[in-house]
Order: sequence, then C-alpha cells, then structure tokens
Amino acid sequence: MERGRLIVEKVEGRSTLTRCFSKYPMKFIVPKKVGSSQTDVVWIYTITYGGGIVSGDSIAFDVTVADTCIAVLTTQSSTKVYKSIAAKCSQQLLEASIGRDALLVVIPDPVTCFSTARYSQTQNFTLATDSSLLLVDWITSGRHERGEKWAFSYYKSTNRILLQDGEPVFLDTTLIEQATHGTISDRMKDYQALAMIVLLGPKLQQIQKQTEEDVKKIMSQQFHFPSNSSSKPNMKPNFIASCSRFGPKGMGVVVRVASMTTEAIYSFLQHQLASMEELLGAPPYH
Amino acid sequence: MILGTCLSFQDVLDSIILSIFAITVKFGKDSDWPCIRMSLWLNMEGLGDVNDANARCLSARFPQLWSQWQLLDSILPTGGFAHSFGLEAAMQAHLVTTTDDLETYVIHVLENAGSLLLPFICAITASPDAQTWRRLDRLLNAMLTNEVSRKASTAQGSALMRVAASVFSEIPCLKTMRGEALSSGEFYFHHAPVFGLVCGLLGFDAETTQRAYMFVTMRDIMSAATRLNLVGPLGAAVLQHQVASVAESLSTKWMNRGVDEACQTCPLLDTVQGCHNYLFSRLFCS
Repeated sequence: MERGRLIVEKVEGRSTLTRCFSKYPMKFIVPKKVGSSQTDVVWIYTITYGGGIVSGDSIAFDVTVADTCIAVLTTQSSTKVYKSIAAKCSQQLLEASIGRDALLVVIPDPVTCFSTARYSQTQNFTLATDSSLLLVDWITSGRHERGEKWAFSYYKSTNRILLQDGEPVFLDTTLIEQATHGTISDRMKDYQALAMIVLLGPKLQQIQKQTEEDVKKIMSQQFHFPSNSSSKPNMKPNFIASCSRFGPKGMGVVVRVASMTTEAIYSFLQHQLASMEELLGAPPYH
Repeated sequence: MILGTCLSFQDVLDSIILSIFAITVKFGKDSDWPCIRMSLWLNMEGLGDVNDANARCLSARFPQLWSQWQLLDSILPTGGFAHSFGLEAAMQAHLVTTTDDLETYVIHVLENAGSLLLPFICAITASPDAQTWRRLDRLLNAMLTNEVSRKASTAQGSALMRVAASVFSEIPCLKTMRGEALSSGEFYFHHAPVFGLVCGLLGFDAETTQRAYMFVTMRDIMSAATRLNLVGPLGAAVLQHQVASVAESLSTKWMNRGVDEACQTCPLLDTVQGCHNYLFSRLFCS
C-alpha cells in the first residue's frame, strides 16, 4: 500500500519541499512563507479530513529531511481520535530519516482520545551524524469539559530513535489501557495531560541545558518548600516535570510532564521552545 | 495370583511404579525428566532399589531450591535496600500518603515492571549466554529513558552479578562472563537481564524466574515503604500478602512476551520517579 511521502532537500541552497504526497484521510498543508526570508525552513501541517481519526483509520507516511535542511511537522489543532467501532484500533505511522546536520521538529497539538477510542501510533527516527531532533508527543485525558476523563480504551505510543547502523538510542513505548486492576483514571490521579519532549542533537544543545535548569528550578521549589499541615492540607503539585539525559555521551534530553491542565503544558512548551524562533521563523506553540 | 499365574509380585510392583512415573512425566516439570529417566533405567536394569532411586532423584532438586531461596532473600547483599522505585518522590509529592495509596502504588509499579522488564527476563532465561545478555542489556539501556531508574538498574545489576559470581561458584561461567563484560566496557549490567541470566544458569525455568523477579520488586518496595515510615513492618507484611494475588495475576498477564512488546504502562510513575534528584532530603538513591 502506498504511503504518504514528504521530502525536504536543498534546492539552490534553500530547504525546499520537493515531494509532497498524502494519502486519504491525511492531507498536508504547506504555507509558502513562515517567518522572515532569512530563515531556511519548511513548515508542514498535517490535517485529517473530518478533523479527526476515525475508528479503523490507518495513516502512514515517510519523511526525509536531507543534509543541512530544517523541517517542521505540526498540526492545526489537537488530533481527535473518535470512538472505536467494533473494537477496531486506529493507527498512525511516521518513518523519518534526518540527514547530516539537519533538524526535524515535530511539534503537534496533543492527541485527544474520545470515550472508548482505540489508538496506536509509531514514530521511528533514523539519525545521521550531527542530526538534530525536537519531538513533542503528548496526550490529554479526553474531552474533559464533557466529563470524559481517561475514558478511552487503548492508547499506545511508540517512539524509536536509531542511529544509521540501526543501533537504538532511545526506545519508548507507552501503553495506557483500561485494565483489570483500576481504571486509567485511577492511575493518573487528577492529572489530565501527559507530555514527553525529546531534545537531541547539536542544534538543540542550548535548549537542552536551559530546560534542564528550568525544570530543576521549578521542581526543586515544589519539593524544598512543602506545604505544612497548619496552613493547607498537603496537596499534589499541579504540574510535575522531570528531565533525563539519554544516549551515548548524554546526547539527548527527555522531559516528562504530567499536568492537571492542558494549558499549563502549552505554557511550558511555549516558554522552553521560545528560542527556536530564530531557527524556525516562528516560535512553537505561540 | 490376582493378575494371573505368569506375573510375579515384583512384576506387579514394577508396573505400578512405571505407571506412577508415567503420570509424573505427564504432569511434572521439564527439569524432573532426567531424574525420572534415570530411575526408569535403574529399575529396568535391576541395578537399584526403586525407592532409593526415587529418593536420589528428588534430592537432586533440593539444592536448586536452596539457591532459589537464597537469591530471593533480601539478606543477599545486592544493595536493593537503596532504592525505593520512586516511592520516596511520590510521597514527597503527596501522591502517596496512606496505606491505601501505597497498595495502589505497589500494584502500579508491579504492572510497570511486568510490562517493561519481564520480556527481558523471559528472553535471557531461555538462552543464558553472553551474546544474548549483551544484546538485551544494550536494548534495555535504550528503553530505560528515565535516568533515575536507569542508574538504579545498573547499580543493582552490577551488585547482583558480583555476588552471584562469588556465591554460585559451581557455575564458573558466571565469573568468566562477568570478567569479560567488565573488560569489554560494553555492558551496562542492567538488573533484569542479570537476574534472568543468573537464574537461567542456575537452571530455573522462565516462568519461575519471571515470577521471582516480580516478587523481589514487591519485596523491595515494601521494605522501602517501611523505612519511609509509611507503614510498620507488620503492616507491610500484611499488605505484601494482600497484594500477592494481584502480583500473581500481573505476572501471568505480562510473562512470556517478546522484547519488542516491552512497554511502560504508568507514565505518571515514570515522571514522578524522574524527580528523585530534585528532592531536598532523601533516604534513597532512586
């Protein structure tokens, strides 16, 4: 089965989308100009017909970012996954290869699974020497204003980052499903959104350091000054984040976030990724 | 006289014993088969009294039991007492405050250990050799993206390998494998593969080993909870027994899967455990 295809390569010295093929129900929108003419970047919005992923949909596409190019993959709004019919699972697969000294930025809005939805996504990234990758992968509890909190049946997200010879640098599969021992809601306590941010490669070194410092500062305040019982009852923090280094020579940083509101994560992303504006022409999540 | 004039009493006894052996072969474990075959041979050759052979055969299994008990005893100096599986961070974040919270927490940690680590145990117990160990050790290193749990795993695995090489001297390849791994510098000594390797070389079957791993995880969290004053020693023992049936069903649910299916099922836990290094005062390493 033919898959969607995106190729970004240098044409006359500028990052250019030379191939853009999408398969129903996915569509790509490529704005002609983002940021000033100085910035060398291609922005690609992924859209689904009908505004969401319907039960049983299967979406797959490949992305190639050639040497020294910069490409951004993003969405127009949160990816909605509608309820599952006849226990069918919807799937999304992205295979990306990032060239030498190139940068791929994946900054979608969160996935929102409706009640009883079943969804599985896989994103594989192959790196070359000095490749950089910024990956945001996040999920909300559902349509929580409607009272749907962690009401979906099955969510699985796999992210793999491999070197060119196939050696794995980062492998993560998160599986959230209604289980026999407690519902998903029990497991998540009162947190309504979870996020994972991966920062890897030479172009992101400064943001890596800054983010590690910022997260340490925010969380240390949380733990160093616990509320004492005389003032207010011990309360869970509204926002929890932790940073870890990974990979050979600690080349990558992964930030994991749990928040009681989606807005707090948008704020965090806006703040931490603000300095990307220089490379990308526009700040992510503004 | 009961069964006909051609059969002697010895023949009748033999056929009864053979039937018992046949039944044992049908329902017994694989590891009993060599003992049974030996007993059958001894009996047919008339070289030994059947009862003696039977007793010798059963006695051959007992040393294995003593090794098993020693491996699962918390007194084995593997440094497991230094790790709280994120419990200390969870308590300081007020996610765990009562013994009910603790019970839920233990179940979530066990589910995560099952989904992420049992596939590794299963794979290495089946082929406890250096090549498999290297592959699984490196794969797990890429999957343990949480720096806190990754370091804890390496510390515990190294300690277990050192202890096992000294204690189980009847298996010299433990010492040689450890020596070669150390000099190559390519091994991380992650806990789950080392545990599976040691058990595999000691002759334990995959199911027992996987169950045992869940047991030692539960044992260590309970010990940490006691030292964190969340529960008293007797309360911890009662709780451990209460959770045992859940631990068993989680073991059966997650055992015998391939490593490509390994996943984490409690992202909130992962996020909170990653905060361990932000704690102001801590008792544990992780």
